[in-house]
Amino acid sequence: MFMNIVITILSGIALLVVAFVYTVTLEGIARKIEARIQRRYGPPFWQNFIDIFKSLTKYSISHGFIFDFGILMALGGTIATVFFIPAGNLAVFPGIDNVFVVIYLLAIGLLGMAMSAVGSGNPNASIGIGRALAQMLGYELPFMIVILGVFFHHGTSSLSDLVSIQIAQGTYNAWLMPIGGVVAFVSLIGMLGKKPFDTFIAPAEIASGPLVEYSGKYLGMLMIQHALATFIEIGLFVNLFLGGGRTLWEFLLKFLIVYFSIVIISATIPRFRVEQAIKFYWKWPLIFSFVQVIIVVFVMGRR
Amino acid sequence: MSNEYKAWEKVANMLRSRSLWMLYYCTGCGAIELPPTMTSRFDMERLGIGPMATPRQADILLITGYLSTKTLRRVVYSYEQMQSPKYIVGFGSCTLNGGIYYDSYATINKLDLYVPVDLYLAGCMPRPEAIVSGFAALMSKIDRGEANGWKEYQEKNDWYKSNQIEALGEVYVHDEFHE
Amino acid sequence: MYTMNSMNEVLKEVMTIAGEFSIKEVTAREFIIFVEASRLNAILEILKRKGFSHLSLITGVDRIEDGVFEVFYTLFRWESGETLLVKSSVSRDAPVITTVMHLWPTARFYERDVHEFFGIVFDGNPDLKPLILENWNEMPPMRKDFDPQKYSDDHFPDRHYGAEFLVEGGDESE
Repeated sequence: MFMNIVITILSGIALLVVAFVYTVTLEGIARKIEARIQRRYGPPFWQNFIDIFKSLTKYSISHGFIFDFGILMALGGTIATVFFIPAGNLAVFPGIDNVFVVIYLLAIGLLGMAMSAVGSGNPNASIGIGRALAQMLGYELPFMIVILGVFFHHGTSSLSDLVSIQIAQGTYNAWLMPIGGVVAFVSLIGMLGKKPFDTFIAPAEIASGPLVEYSGKYLGMLMIQHALATFIEIGLFVNLFLGGGRTLWEFLLKFLIVYFSIVIISATIPRFRVEQAIKFYWKWPLIFSFVQVIIVVFVMGRR
Repeated sequence: MSNEYKAWEKVANMLRSRSLWMLYYCTGCGAIELPPTMTSRFDMERLGIGPMATPRQADILLITGYLSTKTLRRVVYSYEQMQSPKYIVGFGSCTLNGGIYYDSYATINKLDLYVPVDLYLAGCMPRPEAIVSGFAALMSKIDRGEANGWKEYQEKNDWYKSNQIEALGEVYVHDEFHE
Repeated sequence: MYTMNSMNEVLKEVMTIAGEFSIKEVTAREFIIFVEASRLNAILEILKRKGFSHLSLITGVDRIEDGVFEVFYTLFRWESGETLLVKSSVSRDAPVITTVMHLWPTARFYERDVHEFFGIVFDGNPDLKPLILENWNEMPPMRKDFDPQKYSDDHFPDRHYGAEFLVEGGDESE
């Protein structure tokens, strides 16, 4: 009993460290790839680490209690969510990691940022958060419908169970329900906030949107939160549709493939306006997700 | 100062010099030399320098070119909103000694009477190669721990404030839209 | 139906209505006319009805040796692409001229600018606040008896270089 608790705690810490280091390194490599696409040398691939640690050494000012509390809520919620994503055979809570828990805790991150943006009093921040929450309405809907199709077919909504079913069967959900896989991939680009859906950060328009009043240590914490949120979202997609992994290395390899395809797509596309993004999500991805669910319910049935 | 404090400062300076964030505030005609420096030919991002949109997140404030009195009031506001440690780089001859506008009734002549400057780049305008080598010099200055303009601004604040008031009259910005 | 007359014909028509004034032709599409301040508003209104509906600029020149300020109105006609400069002058000691805000509402800002830099008072403009300068307590700076070098030396201290710099700069005897 005691050993179980120790193993849980240790594997949780290990998962957190792996998630942070791996995602930040991948972000650095992505910057290098973007630079090479634009025919220039880029920064060294450990540049994002230096950025985060430099932000943590600066002095920062605060705008009151709600401002501080919002950022702590965002970081805390994200760290709590990381524990529920199984990464290969490094699963912290095997059996009780339900997808709905993950999605619920994921919303806490965004709401925490919204709270602190409101507390800062800058109108740029309010505009940015309004856009971010509106965009969330856009991408959550097709994603949820496709996931409901997956749950219906497999009869379970626990992440580690879905992973072991896909590994045992040998076919991934992306092969079983290809339309759903593509719709989930497009929703993933919106979740991550990469082009063409990065209107809520939009540096040149609204001065970084919700990040506008963060300085120094708060910015460092927010960058850590962004890296962990990237890990959670891509990890969710890999576990649901690409079968997770038997070992940690297989999971990280699939993570790498998905991340780089998103980076290559987003390096070449300009940005949508927020109403264009919502209209896009509620047109074709929504139609295809309904088609997918109808196929799953009436043609494929339960497994 | 204890030894571990000094070691921490060394590590922190090393981190700060390799990841400088520049504020997009291009004040004068020298700002035309910044897009070539940032884009593919004279890539500035490989030194770790990237653009940042708000003063709260930026490390460097670039004063590119002449500063009229109207802009100087707003620059002082922006500089005081930035979080320390922060550095100012003065581009072009107009920040050194007034440049070609030395006898104008609206532009200031010597920048470091009003804000502390860490590095000057002479030229009218310096070319991107000069800008990149200037940033490399700034990075080595930060590494050695000599770029302490922000500390000076806090220590000699009265002197800077009295210079600003003498030149500008008052530093409070009266905006037509708020009055 | 509006017919496009050439500039000369238009100006001759205006002269028959309002009286004589001097015309100077710079190019085929740019003319300068000189009008006294008392007839200025009437002539501008006639010109506006003749097709010069765009006021591009109002500016001033300080003729200190004649003791007058010259005020320029630059009018532009879009159908034929012709520019017309209407010059007028006021005395330097009591510079008052009537506003043209009732013809072109944007003249409000041009007149604010000219008032701030020359000191010309535009009669009828309710809004003669400073436009560009802030906290300015001296004489209007575009006048020719304002010395910008002296103002700059008083208010903005220069950088002092050491003596070696000046010697290295160049030797006349070489």
